[in-house]
Amino acid sequence: MKRIGLWVLCGLLGLSAMGLAQGPRMGGELIIAFGTDPESLDPNKITSAPAGMVLTHIAETLLTMTEDLEIAPLLAESWEFSEDSLALTLYLRKGVKFHDGTPFNAEAVKVNLERFRRASYRFLLYPRVQRIEVVDEYTVRLHLDMPFAPIISHLSHNFVAMVSPKQIAELPEGQDIVAPIGTGPFKFDKWVRGEYVRIVRNDEYWGPKPYVDAVVFRVVPSDATRLVLLETGQVHAIMRVPPLDAPRVAATPGLEVVKVPSVRTIYIAFNYQKAPWTDRRVRQALNYAVDKEAIVKEILGGAGGVSDAPIMPLIFGYSPQKPYEYDPEKAKKLLAEAGIPKGFKVTLYHPTGRYMMDAAIAEAVQAYLRNVGIEAELITMEWAAYLSFLFKPVHEATFDMFLLGWGTVTLDADYGLFSLFHTSQWAPAGQNRFFYSNPAVDALLEKARVTPDPEARKDLYAEAIKLIWQDAPWIFLHYEVQINAQSTKVKGLIHHPREYILAHRAWLE
Amino acid sequence: MLSYFVRRLLVALPTLLGVTFIVFSIVRVLPGDPAQAMAGVHATQDYIERVRKELGLDLPIHVQYVRFLRGLLRGDLGRSIRTGLPVAQEVWTRFLPTLELTAASLFLTLVVGVLVGILSATKPYSLYDHASMFLSLAGLSLPVFWLGLMLMLLFSVRLGWLPAAGRGGLRHLVLPALTLAASSVALVARFTRSTLLEVLRQEYITTARAKGVRESRAILVHALRNALIPIVTIVGLRFGALLSGAVLTETVFAWPGVGRLVVDSVSARDYPVIQGTVLVIAACFVFINLAVDLLYGVINPRIRYD
Repeated sequence: MKRIGLWVLCGLLGLSAMGLAQGPRMGGELIIAFGTDPESLDPNKITSAPAGMVLTHIAETLLTMTEDLEIAPLLAESWEFSEDSLALTLYLRKGVKFHDGTPFNAEAVKVNLERFRRASYRFLLYPRVQRIEVVDEYTVRLHLDMPFAPIISHLSHNFVAMVSPKQIAELPEGQDIVAPIGTGPFKFDKWVRGEYVRIVRNDEYWGPKPYVDAVVFRVVPSDATRLVLLETGQVHAIMRVPPLDAPRVAATPGLEVVKVPSVRTIYIAFNYQKAPWTDRRVRQALNYAVDKEAIVKEILGGAGGVSDAPIMPLIFGYSPQKPYEYDPEKAKKLLAEAGIPKGFKVTLYHPTGRYMMDAAIAEAVQAYLRNVGIEAELITMEWAAYLSFLFKPVHEATFDMFLLGWGTVTLDADYGLFSLFHTSQWAPAGQNRFFYSNPAVDALLEKARVTPDPEARKDLYAEAIKLIWQDAPWIFLHYEVQINAQSTKVKGLIHHPREYILAHRAWLE
Repeated sequence: MLSYFVRRLLVALPTLLGVTFIVFSIVRVLPGDPAQAMAGVHATQDYIERVRKELGLDLPIHVQYVRFLRGLLRGDLGRSIRTGLPVAQEVWTRFLPTLELTAASLFLTLVVGVLVGILSATKPYSLYDHASMFLSLAGLSLPVFWLGLMLMLLFSVRLGWLPAAGRGGLRHLVLPALTLAASSVALVARFTRSTLLEVLRQEYITTARAKGVRESRAILVHALRNALIPIVTIVGLRFGALLSGAVLTETVFAWPGVGRLVVDSVSARDYPVIQGTVLVIAACFVFINLAVDLLYGVINPRIRYD
C-alpha cells in the first residue's frame, strides 16, 4: 500500500513538473462548488458573496480590488479628485465592448450608475453621489454632496458592476436582469436554479483571455457533500471547508487546502447604555476573562486570527492594539472594583450556523464567564429573527450581550468603523446595535470621511481605534479565515479575501 | 363515481383556501422581517423601509391577503422577494426534481416494501423474516443525512460506482432515492407483513388452500388483495412524508428540489415563495389522497362512492 502511495506521489510530482514545463493549457471546464445559490445575477439586486463571485466573472467594475487588497484600474484606467474633493473624474478604458457588442463608454457608465441610484437595493453609492456628468466619450465625472474619500473603495466593490446599457433599456419595468451582459472575461451561458451557473470564455475579451473554456459554479449546500465531490474528482475546487476537516483534506494526495483571511470580524457586543455595561471596568474585565487564542486554536482549528483592532489587518486604516490577554484574575479584580457580585446573571444572544462555529464559540464564552463569576444565559436565535431582534431602538433593547459579525466589504475603515461606532448609527437607524457613543470617536470618524489624503486618514483611524479599544464596547474576538480546497490539477485559481474564488487566469492540467 | 370525484374536487377548494390562510398567517407571525432579511446585516433602517414599501409589506395584512388571493385567481403567485422572479416559475423549476425524486422513492417503497413484506409474512419467524425486520427497523431509525452520507461514502468514494451528488441521469437518482425511500420502504414492509399475516389467518384463505389453490395464488391474489387497502392508505400518506422529507435528502445530495427552496425561503422570509410552495405541495397531497380513495374502489369493488 505504502509503495502504491509512493508511486502515486511520484506520478503527481511528475505531472506537476510537466505542468510547470508546459505552462498554462487552454481548454477544459472548471467546476467550483459553493454552498448557496446566487439570489440574483442583477448587479442592482445581489447582496451575497456567492452571487458577487459569479457576477464578477461576467460583469466588470470601474475599479477593482486585487487579492492583495490594492485598488487597481479595471474599466476605468485612472481617476482623480477635484481640489475641493467634491468631484471624482474617471478616465475610461477605450475599445471595450459588452458581450452584445455595445461599446463601453461614459454614457454606459452613466446609465449603470443612474440605475444603481434609483434602486433601493444598492446602498453603496446613492447617499453621496448627486450628479453623474458625461464629460466626453471616455470621461465621466461624479459630483458628490460632500467629500467622501471611501467612494474609491465603493466603486471597486463587485456589486457595482457595469452591464450593457442596451440590456438595461430593453428590460421590462419591474424586472431584474437574469442573464447579465457585461464586459468580463466570461459570458453568461446558463443558470439552473438551485443547481449550477455556467459561464463560457469571452473570446473578444479586452484583457488577457481566460484559459478554460467554461466555468461551472455548482450549488452544493452540504459541507460534507462538497468535500466528497472534491475527493472523488467531480469538482475542482470547493468553498468553506469545515475547519476540523481541513487537516485531513490537506493530507490527501492531489488536494490542497487554501486559507484566505476574510474581512469579517466576529465580536460580542455589550448593551453600552445599560448597567453594568456602562462601566468601562466591567467591559474590560470580560475581555480579560475570555481566552481568544484558545477559541481560535481549538474551536476554529486555527481558521482565524485574534482581533487586535475592531477591523482586521488587511483593511485600510487598520492599526494594531495590544490585545486584552487572557487573565481571569485581573478580570475578577476589575469586576470586584466595579462592585459586580458573584453569580451575576446576564443574557448572551447568538445565531447558529451563520458564522463559523458561532454556537460553539458562544458556549466557550459562557464557560469563561462562569470562571469569573458571571452566569451567562445563552439564547440562540434563527438568523432572520435575530436580525429583527437586534434592530430595536435603545429603550427597547433588552439584551446584555450579543454575538455578531461584520464584513468590511469595501475594505476601507470607514465602512467598518463609522457604520458600527458612530453615535448617529445607533439602531434602528444604523448598525451601532450596541449603542456605543464617544464624542471624540465621532469627531475622528467624521473627519476621516472628508479627508482626501490617505496618510492623514490613516492617522485619524488609528486614533479612533485606540479610543474604541480602550472603551471596549465589545469582547474583541477574532476575524475569520475562509478555508477553501482545490485539486492540485488546477493552477492559477485566485482565492480572494472577499470570499470569492476567481477563475480568470485558471487552467487545468 | 364521477359525481363523487367532482364532489371531492369541490371539497378540495375550501381545504386549499384554508391552507392559503394558515400559511399566510403563520409566515407573518414568525419573528423576523423579509425586508430586513433581504436587506441584510449591513442595511440601515431607512433602506429597509424603502424595501418594505417596494414589496408592499407596509400594507395592512388583510389587504395583502386579498391581493394574494386575487393574484391566485389569475394564476399569479406573485414575485419572489429574494430573487425577483415569478413564484410560479421558481416553484415549477424546483418542483420537477422533487417530483422525480419522490416518484422514484415511491416506486421503491411499493416494489421493495411490499415484496419484502410478503416474503416475511409467508415465512414468519424465519431467519429471513428476522433479518428483514431488523433491517427495516434500521431503515426507520437511521437519520436521513447520516444514511445519505454513508451511502455516498460507500458507493461513490469507495466503490466509485455512482456520482456523489447533483442531478443528472438515472445514475444520479439512485442514491438520493434510496436514502429518501429507506424509511418508507421499512414502514411499508413491516405494515405489509403484519396485515398479510392477519389476512392469511382468515377462513377464506384456509378455504382457498383446501380447494387446492396454489400457495402463490392464495397469497398474491386472495390474501394480498385484501391486505392492500391499509397498504395503499399508508403509501398515500407516505407520499406527503416523502415530499416533506425530501428537504434533508436534497441538501445532502445537492438536489435542486422544492424542499431546499422552502428552507431557503423561510430563512429569507420570502413570503410569496413560502406561500406558493406550500400551496402546491398541499394541492399535491390533496390529490394523492383523492387518488387513494378512488383506488379503494378498484381494489375492493364492494366499496361504493355514493
